[in-house]
Amino acid sequence: MAQTIAEKLFSLHNLAGRPVHAGDMLEARIDGAMVHYHANEPMHDLALQAGFKDGLPRVWDRERVFVLVDHHQPTLSQKQADENALIRREVERLGIQCFHDSEPGIAHQMMADYGLMRPGELVVGNDSHTISYGALNVGGLGITRADMLYVLLFGELWFQVPQSIKVTLNGRPRNYPVAKDIILYLAGRYGDDFAGSMSIEYGGTLVPRLSIDSRMCLSAHGVEVGAKLAVFPCDDATRSFIRARTDKAYEPLAADTDARYEREIVLDVDAMPFVVAKPHQFGNVAPVAEAAGRRIHQAIIGSCANGRFEDVEIAARLLKGRKVAKGVRFIVSPASQHVYLACLKAGLIETLVEAGAQVATPGCGVCQPKVGFLSDGEVCITATTRNFKGRKGSMQADIYLAGPLTVAAAALAGEIVDPKEVFDVA
Amino acid sequence: MSLDLNRVLRGRVWKFGDSIETDAINPYYRYPTMEELKLHTMEAYRPEFPQEVRPVDSLVAGRNFGCGSSRPGLVLREVGIAAIVAESVARLFLRNSIDRAIPIFIAPGITGIVNDGETLEVDYPHGIACNGGTGASVPLRKFPPLIEEIFSAGGLPEYAYERYIRETAGRNASRR
Repeated sequence: MAQTIAEKLFSLHNLAGRPVHAGDMLEARIDGAMVHYHANEPMHDLALQAGFKDGLPRVWDRERVFVLVDHHQPTLSQKQADENALIRREVERLGIQCFHDSEPGIAHQMMADYGLMRPGELVVGNDSHTISYGALNVGGLGITRADMLYVLLFGELWFQVPQSIKVTLNGRPRNYPVAKDIILYLAGRYGDDFAGSMSIEYGGTLVPRLSIDSRMCLSAHGVEVGAKLAVFPCDDATRSFIRARTDKAYEPLAADTDARYEREIVLDVDAMPFVVAKPHQFGNVAPVAEAAGRRIHQAIIGSCANGRFEDVEIAARLLKGRKVAKGVRFIVSPASQHVYLACLKAGLIETLVEAGAQVATPGCGVCQPKVGFLSDGEVCITATTRNFKGRKGSMQADIYLAGPLTVAAAALAGEIVDPKEVFDVA
Repeated sequence: MSLDLNRVLRGRVWKFGDSIETDAINPYYRYPTMEELKLHTMEAYRPEFPQEVRPVDSLVAGRNFGCGSSRPGLVLREVGIAAIVAESVARLFLRNSIDRAIPIFIAPGITGIVNDGETLEVDYPHGIACNGGTGASVPLRKFPPLIEEIFSAGGLPEYAYERYIRETAGRNASRR
């Protein structure tokens, strides 16, 4: 029986050793486990609660567990410092080999930077944006902290094989990163749970020309449209990205040609306008023209959705020799130290600082109420993951989500504008 | 805490809309302790909720309940919510609720049969959710056996503990 990527992924990892199909329950073998800042819960707090008197008694494989303390790096409070200290003690006690707690950055980006995953693997993480690994043809699955306790002990976890939805992106390559507009447009048109508990498989004429950075944006945002997986095919771009970071062998996932999809969506990217998500939901999407003229107080580029090289690069390209509008706080946060260094070497950081931007430490802070709070009545446009009410502090502030070019254009103009007015879009 | 799925749950309804996010349910970033969370959960949608919610109340929601992050909804149980019934539930919120044995049920049509302040009866063994006043009912989705076992163990960490003890006890015995 023909299989989708999700069906192949779970069949290959099924402990019972037989093929599975959409709807089947299974216990799956885990290839890698990413544990981020809440590592103290599965390794300690929840373990005690479950009955383990001395904390988690073991990890199933000390080389397949990756602890990356991202959200709380650098720490912003004594409480965070205490949690991080506990995590360090537990990591040492359990003998976990891969541990980054003195390097700021978003765990998901660091998983890619350090080559900790490969196409075809089933990699779980106790963070919703673990789904971003699908950009590299990895079965990246967000799980809960309690799930993680189970994974750490046994290297196994239950799943239900999802139905699949094929999203075909047709169009020509652009001179700016287009991924955010694509996913926002899809959420606006089909609803913010159009892929609810399903596996998105991306394809189409645009995909081979989409950078890995753009694919990571699309895959990360799978969770914002409800998806369980959001997977790209493994192509030359994937192979060269992986080859530069790890030499371990891998077996990519590809769907059978007659695999069965619950739904197919074809998007003509060339016909799509620039869009924004208006406050306070991801699916509250409108053409940018509808929000144009809205005065902004803050603009942000960062996060596991838009903190990558191409996101910073487009902002620098637009702002070179220009100035951020007076009174606008324009915050740029590269996703990791690797990304930060690449931006530095390319001169992007110098350009942005000269233009009046602020550069924040790599990490998750700009996407949460941790770095760059909003006051009552303030307006923020941001290329990050979410725009829920209160996400940046005040419950009386408005947050618009947009692509990095639209955000940089707003920072330049001091108000939301169609990027075409300030950038020669091609 | 083991969850007995066979017990019929009956409570006053708090009704919410679609795509209620974990930032509203569990605004951990702003309120990092459980005591603070209890004073602020769901206030983004119903400012009176934290003050007026009572033990054994029920929460009814539209589609995509618990969208957003991987944070759990333990605070809802802490403030007294005895059952969550939604048109659909975001996958991580559903996993979290199963993992921590929080009674959560998927019942397409639920928002059409019950209004805010009315009484809802959740009868899992018979697979129905019913408006205690009007008698209108909709079917509840049954969980696969493995998930029922996790609920009755009191959650996934507790289920993991039982498995670990069982397996290591067996290993020690065979070594002897």
